[in-house]
Amino acid sequence: MSKPRGTDGSLLLSLPWTLAALLLAIAPHLQFLPLWISAAFVACAAWRFVIEKRRAALPPTSLRAVLALGCFLGVLATYSSVSGVGPGSALLTVMAAMKLLETRKRRDQFVLLFIAIFLVMSALLREQYMWSLPYLLVAVLLIMTAWLRMSAAHQQTAVQSFRTSGRLVMYALPMALAMWIFFPRIATPFWQVPIDTSSGTSGLNDTMSPGDISSLSLSDELAFRVGFDGPVPAARDLYWRGLVLQRFNGRTWSGNGPMPSNSNLERSKIQVSGDPVSYTITLEPTRQQWVFALDLPYEWDLGKKIAMGRQQQLSREFPIDQRIAYDVTSYIDFRADVEMPEMFRNWYLDLPAGSNPQTIELARQLYAEAGSQTAYIEAVLQKFNNENFFYTLEPPPLGRDPVDSFLFDTRKGFCEHYASAFAVLMRAADIPARIVLGYQGGELNPQAEHLIVRQSDAHAWTEVWLPGTGWHRVDPTAAVAPERIDSGMSGSRLSGAAAAWGIPTPSALLHSLGLSWDAINAKWNDLVLGYGPDNQNRFMRWLGMDTPDWRKMMLTLLGIVFGLILLISVLLSLRYRAPRADRALRLYRKFQLKTGLPLSTGETPSAFAERARVDSRLDSTTIDDVTEAYLAARYGPAGANALDELRRSVSRLA
Amino acid sequence: MPSGSRIEKLPLSKNADRVALDAARKQLGQIILGKDDQVGLALSCLLARGHLLIEDLPGLGKTMLAQALARVLGLSFNRIQFTSDLLPADIVGVSVFKQESGDFQFQPGPVFAQLILADEVNRATPKAQSALLEAMEEQQVSVDGNTRQLPAPFFVVATQNPADQIGTFPLPESQLDRFLMRLELGYPNAENERELLVGKDRRAMLDEVAAAMSPDALVKLQQAAANMHMSDPLVDYIQELVRFTRESPDIEIGLSPRGALALAAAAKAHAFVNSHSGVYPDDIQAVFAAVAGHRLKPAGSTSFRSAAELCQHVLDTVAIP
Repeated sequence: MSKPRGTDGSLLLSLPWTLAALLLAIAPHLQFLPLWISAAFVACAAWRFVIEKRRAALPPTSLRAVLALGCFLGVLATYSSVSGVGPGSALLTVMAAMKLLETRKRRDQFVLLFIAIFLVMSALLREQYMWSLPYLLVAVLLIMTAWLRMSAAHQQTAVQSFRTSGRLVMYALPMALAMWIFFPRIATPFWQVPIDTSSGTSGLNDTMSPGDISSLSLSDELAFRVGFDGPVPAARDLYWRGLVLQRFNGRTWSGNGPMPSNSNLERSKIQVSGDPVSYTITLEPTRQQWVFALDLPYEWDLGKKIAMGRQQQLSREFPIDQRIAYDVTSYIDFRADVEMPEMFRNWYLDLPAGSNPQTIELARQLYAEAGSQTAYIEAVLQKFNNENFFYTLEPPPLGRDPVDSFLFDTRKGFCEHYASAFAVLMRAADIPARIVLGYQGGELNPQAEHLIVRQSDAHAWTEVWLPGTGWHRVDPTAAVAPERIDSGMSGSRLSGAAAAWGIPTPSALLHSLGLSWDAINAKWNDLVLGYGPDNQNRFMRWLGMDTPDWRKMMLTLLGIVFGLILLISVLLSLRYRAPRADRALRLYRKFQLKTGLPLSTGETPSAFAERARVDSRLDSTTIDDVTEAYLAARYGPAGANALDELRRSVSRLA
Repeated sequence: MPSGSRIEKLPLSKNADRVALDAARKQLGQIILGKDDQVGLALSCLLARGHLLIEDLPGLGKTMLAQALARVLGLSFNRIQFTSDLLPADIVGVSVFKQESGDFQFQPGPVFAQLILADEVNRATPKAQSALLEAMEEQQVSVDGNTRQLPAPFFVVATQNPADQIGTFPLPESQLDRFLMRLELGYPNAENERELLVGKDRRAMLDEVAAAMSPDALVKLQQAAANMHMSDPLVDYIQELVRFTRESPDIEIGLSPRGALALAAAAKAHAFVNSHSGVYPDDIQAVFAAVAGHRLKPAGSTSFRSAAELCQHVLDTVAIP
C-alpha cells in the first residue's frame, strides 16, 4: 500500500469543470438510479473538491478498496445483475465516484472525462427525447471545456477555454450531420439494447385479470401516434386491435402469445368492404411483440417483419425496443373467419368447470328467454344497460368467482370486467367468444393532425362468432358507459373520474401547450428518430443517388468527411495571419534574392546592407531603405507602418 | 561591428533628454577621438545601469574616458588609485573622533560620488577590491555598523592593466561578473593620433566641457532605455547565443542567466543610444563582446587567442532569427 500523498491544488483549475461535466453526464440517469448511488456520487465529488481546496491527502488505498467493493456489491444487490442499461449506468456512476477519490494527475482526469462521455452516450440507450440533442451539445461542450482546462495555461480564462471548445464542437457538427445522414442504416439492428427489466414500462400485458387495465387508465403516457392519410374515422370506430385472449381460467384471460402465421393465408380468411383507412402509426417501445392497428388491418409494411396471427392480431418478430413507425391500411367493415373448423370453435367455448356457476345459470335463463343468438346478445347488452351497472375506475375487490361476484354483487367495474363477464355469458350460451386487448379512441391533436393514443386509452372488448358472418365486435362497455366510447377515455376521465381521483384538471391553455409539444415531438420522431433505412433510401434517391446501397453511402460519407476536414483546414490556414515579423522576413528574403548575395550566418541586416552596397548592382538608397524598413518591421515595436514601407520598397525592386 | 550609418537617421523622439544624450555623445567623441563605438558602448553601459571595466595598456585614455563621462553627464567624480596597500577604509571612509564635539564623525571616503574611477583595480588586495565590489552591488556601504546610501546614479568605471601581471590580484570570474561590460580601447589610428598631437590639450578641453545633462535626466534616460522594445525573434537570438556558449566545446563556462540578462539590458541601452526603433540584431552583436567577453571562460583546448575572437566566433556561428 502506497502512502497517500497530499494534493497540491494543481487540479483546482480544471477539477471544478471535470466535476460539472460528470454531474451533467449523470443528470439524465438520476431518475433511474437508486438514491444511494446518486448520493454517493455527490458526496465523493464534494469530498474530492474539498481535498483539493485544502490540499489535503487523498483517502488511503485500503479505504478506497473497501468503498469500491461496497459500491460494487451495492449495485449487484440493487439490480441483481451488472449488465443492461440500468446496472451499467449505475456501475459507471459508481466508477466515476471512486475514480474521483484517486484522481491525482491529469491522466486520472482523462479517465473521468471518458466515463462522462460514456454516461452521456448511455443516456441515449434509455430514451432519445428531443431535448437529448441540446443536452448532448451542452454535455460535449462542458466535457471539452474540462478537457481544455486540464491543459490550459494559468493565464487562460475559463471563458477562453469554453470558446475554444465551442469552436471545436462547431467544426465537428457538420461532420456529425453528414454521418447521421449518410451512415448506412440497416433494417435489423446488429445488437439489441438489453431490456431494462428493472424499470417497467406501462402497457398491456399478455394476460388480463380484473384491475389490469384500470391501473393503466391513470397513465398519461403515450402509447402511439397515428397519422391518417385521409379523414379520421369516427371515435366509435377507433378500436386499436392489439392481442387476442381466448383462454379463461375462471379469473384470468390469457392468449397464445405472439404466434405469427402466414399473413397471406390469414388475410384470405378476411372479407373486407367499404372504404379503406390508411394511416401511419408511430409506436412507442413496448418491450413486447404486439403491433397495434385499427380494427381490422388488411395491408401493412412487409419490410417491418410484421405478420398476422390466427386471430387477426399483428405482431413483430422481435420485441419493440425502440420507437417504430409503420404504415397500415385497415377496413372498418370486415368479416373474419366466416368458416371456422369445429375444433377451433370449441376452443372459444371453453369454460373452466365449476367456476362462476351463477353466471352460467343466468346465461341459460337469458338464452332460453331470448331464443336466438342475436337476441341473446342484445338481451345481455340490455341487461348491462338497464340494470344498475356502473362504470368506475375504482372497482371493489371481487370474490373467488370474479364474474359471479361482479354480475351479482358489486356491479361496478371497468372495461375488463364487462368484457370478461360478457365473454363468459356468451360462452355459457354456446356462442364462441374471445377478448381483444388494445386501445380505444385517442385524442386528435389539431396542431399536427395526428391522433394521440395514450395508455389511458387502453381497452378490452369482446368478439363473438356467429355462423355465416364470422367474428363480430361487441363492446359491452359501450352499453354501460357509451360516452367512454363516443368521446374517448380522456374525456370521460377528465369529467368524472378525475375529480374522484384527485387529479387536477389541466386548464385549457396547458392542454393546448401539451398538444403543441406533442406535435413537435411527433415531427422530431418522424424526421430524426424515424430516419431509418426507408427514409434514408428515400432521401438518397431524392439527392439523386440511384439504387442507394451501403457502399455508395459510405463512399459519399467518406468524401464529405474528408472534404470537410480539408475545408476546415483551408479555412483555418486562411484565417491564420502570419505574425508581422514573419511577413517582414518573407519580403526581406525577396530582397536578398535580388541582391544575388548569400546571407552568411550571424550576419546582421546592416552588415549585409554594407556588403550589398559594394557587391550588388542595386543602388545604395534602395538597399538602405529596405534594410531600414525591414529592421523596423521585424524588430521594432508593433504599430509602426514599417511593414508597408518595406512592402513598398521591395516592390520597387521588381 | 560597424553600425550602419543610415540607421542613426531613423526618426528620433525629439525630447530634451534625447537631445542631451546625443549632445553628450558628440562631446565625448570630440574628446576621445576615433573611439566612437567604445564611447557608444560606455554610454550604453551607464544607461543600462551597469558598471564598466576598461582593460587596456596604460596611456590609451582610460582615465580620460572616465573623466569625460563624469563631466559630460554632470556626475560628481572621484578617482581611487588602487594600490597593494589600499585599505577598505580608504575607499568607503572612516569615523574620526572630533575633540570639539566629543563624538565620532563619519568622514566619507572617495566612494561617495556618482561616478568612481577605480584605477588599476587589480593592484589592490582582494580585501580592498571586495569593499568596492560590495558598494557596486548594494549601492550602499556599511561603516561602523551604519548603512550609508551611496548617491544615485552610481557608477564605477574600473580599469586594469592586462600586461602587468607582477604584484597584481586579478579579479576572479565571480567578481568580473559584477561589471556589465568590459571594454578595450586600443590604439588610435594614425589620423586621430595626429589630431591628438597637434590639437588642443585634452585635459584643457575637459575643463571647458559643460555638462550635457543633469543626473535626473540621466535617470529618465535609463528608464527609457530599459523600456526599449525587444521583439520575440531577438529574445530567441539571445537564448540561442547563450545556449551556444554553454554547449560549445571551445568554451568551458558559458553565459549564466545573469549574463543573458546583462546582454539583453546592454542591447536595449545600445539600441536606445543609437536611436533604433527597437532592439536590432546589430545592437546585440555590438554589445556581445563587451558583455560576454569577460564572462566566458575559454576551454584550454581552444584555438582562439582572445576573448574578442571567441565572441566573434560565437556571433559568426549562431544564426540570427
